[in-house]
Amino acid sequence: MMSRNFTPEQDLIDKLSVGDGPALEELSRRYGYSLYSYCMAKLNSPEDARRIVRNIFISLWENRDRLPENFSLSVHLYTEVRKSIVQCVNNKLKTSTNIQSIEKQVIPGFSVRELQKAKEFVHTGSEQKSKYYISAVKNRDYEDQWWNKYFIPAINLKGLKHGLKSMLNMW
Amino acid sequence: MTTEVLREKTGRYLRGESVPSEKRQIQTWLSCTKDKMEFIPAKEKEKIQTEIVADIHAYITYSEFNPEPKPWWRKFTAAF
Repeated sequence: MMSRNFTPEQDLIDKLSVGDGPALEELSRRYGYSLYSYCMAKLNSPEDARRIVRNIFISLWENRDRLPENFSLSVHLYTEVRKSIVQCVNNKLKTSTNIQSIEKQVIPGFSVRELQKAKEFVHTGSEQKSKYYISAVKNRDYEDQWWNKYFIPAINLKGLKHGLKSMLNMW
Repeated sequence: MTTEVLREKTGRYLRGESVPSEKRQIQTWLSCTKDKMEFIPAKEKEKIQTEIVADIHAYITYSEFNPEPKPWWRKFTAAF
């Protein structure tokens, strides 16, 4: 779903820091649903998901006059939502509410099989291309490391090859 | 894993006392969202989004009419 407001994010954060309510509403319109769906995927509880998202934006509003200078909204939201989910699971287990739903929804996610899914390569639709890309990156990294270890880092391997080739040609 | 173990692990994670392997396990669980994202129709999405924005709007409006008194030290630090 696309927001119709095209104001840059930094402008909205600047407005938020001086207490502009519509700026926060616009930010919540942009990111609210993504956070909600993430919470739903983890907790499978619409009430908890909504409460977590609401609390994240409310705390942002409450701390609007104390935002750091190089404040990154995406990093803040990412950190907060993850912390809130763990907090929510812990609270539920502490108060013994919806233990059955946690047993069914959350605990299976901690199995080795499920956790390994996070390490799997993300399929982007052009798997072949991605494989080549990864091998190319690996090769480049190796070359860079090898070169930086033994020679002057300012000259790259390609330049050296070209220089040697031209020297041999001359000779 | 049992609920008791999970409670202890999450508790330690929140207090920042978890060992690296526990931390990694929880962070991997948080990062893994494959096969979980359900398809939600656009109308439903819009409804949820509107509700979230309405909640926040209500809170902002409420806080503007009933501002919490700021502690003296916050006023003092705001001056700088």
